[in-house]
Amino acid sequence: MDFSQSDKDLWKQIYNTKDLLHCFNCSTCLSGCPASHGDPPLLVRNLARMVVYGLEEDLLNDDTPWACVSCSRCEEMCPMDVKPFEMILAIRRWQTLNDETRVPTAIVEIYKRGYTQSVGTNTELRASLGLPELQTITKMPEMLKLYQEMLMKTPVVSENDYMFNEE
Amino acid sequence: MELCLFLGCNTPAIRPDVERAIRATMPELGVDLADAEGYVCCPAFGSFPSTDDDSYLASSGWNLSIAEAKGLDIMVQCGSCYSSLRMGRDHLAHDEEKLARVNELIELTGRKLECKTKVRHVSEILYNEVGAEKISKTIKKNLNGLHGIVQYPCHTLFPSEIVGFEESPREPKALRILTEAMGATVDHYSRELQCCGGAGGFSKSSPAEATEFTKTKLDAIIDETKADFIVVSCITCLMYLDNIQKKLNDAQGTDKYHIPVFDYNQLLALCMGFDPKQVASICTVPRNKVIDRITAG
Repeated sequence: MDFSQSDKDLWKQIYNTKDLLHCFNCSTCLSGCPASHGDPPLLVRNLARMVVYGLEEDLLNDDTPWACVSCSRCEEMCPMDVKPFEMILAIRRWQTLNDETRVPTAIVEIYKRGYTQSVGTNTELRASLGLPELQTITKMPEMLKLYQEMLMKTPVVSENDYMFNEE
Repeated sequence: MELCLFLGCNTPAIRPDVERAIRATMPELGVDLADAEGYVCCPAFGSFPSTDDDSYLASSGWNLSIAEAKGLDIMVQCGSCYSSLRMGRDHLAHDEEKLARVNELIELTGRKLECKTKVRHVSEILYNEVGAEKISKTIKKNLNGLHGIVQYPCHTLFPSEIVGFEESPREPKALRILTEAMGATVDHYSRELQCCGGAGGFSKSSPAEATEFTKTKLDAIIDETKADFIVVSCITCLMYLDNIQKKLNDAQGTDKYHIPVFDYNQLLALCMGFDPKQVASICTVPRNKVIDRITAG
């Protein structure tokens, strides 16, 4: 492993908690982790090492944090209270901040209609099940505008605003 | 009691029969539901929680403040929505700076967040507020003679100090006791606590490995139990465990995997005598056998 390019303070940028430094690579975070079965596998303990060692380039190019299913078993079981799920989210945030191609397309959907799915458009099906029409934000244009206005004040949306402009 | 129903995305959009089952059953048990008009994505972990605190917690705050304005706690079925809202609330309730920032961001709605509203899972409401005994007394039909297995939603177990409500997250029992309250026998098996594997990026980035992962769970159910059905209380577990069985059959050219999957409230609705076409009609693995047994009983 080449440590010549490593940034020993990188962890402070990514996941600024001393808890991370308590990780002794015991691998409890891997037991029961669904995505540890993936190809490539999500190896949470390796990611913790990469953050601590400051392997910036390797971390930037690593897709595995996005395979996490958010089940939070690792968070429950970690004996050193590293909070590995929080670390996964922190790595994703740092990647997104440094590489706009990492911005999840789901947030563009949410910005445009409030949801990842097209909620409330299945009116016929809903009526056949005896369900009321849903008061979704998509059906409340004034409210949706306020939500978009709010999101425009947050870092990911304001810094990548070209992604969110209506055609 | 009255609670604010947070539906999320998948339930109303893809499996509205589950929504119907929840809306039909809860008031019968003394839990009235108010809608969260103008709610937005919880937000899903793969969205704003993966980009920055402001957009994540502002969306949490947007949703929490809708219920808070009504003076109600939130009730959720979807595991991810439950966990995201509850973790969001936890961040805000323990960090004055973050709460102040969110209040700045949501100010344009005219709402203010004090974090009075709690986020609760439907299975926890059923277990703690309604109770198994009331369920047994209320139902008109039952699951006597049927065997089931329960899939506990990971997002209601871990991390237990934030999202948990079981006495032991490693030995959960709420969903089992609730299912037994309708007369079913709940079988245990070796992979009972294994995640369904359906949430997040895993099933998209490693489809073959993810399918194999869930296959081991289904094989254990088939080999070790007499399960007539799987009961879940999370929309992702429901859709994933249902749809993957057809995928496995198609890939292997067999019909080995055909265990019907129900949301808990769907079984409850059927036992209360609601129309199966309204409360349990959308599925991949046919449910007729179980539904016929309940309606005939």
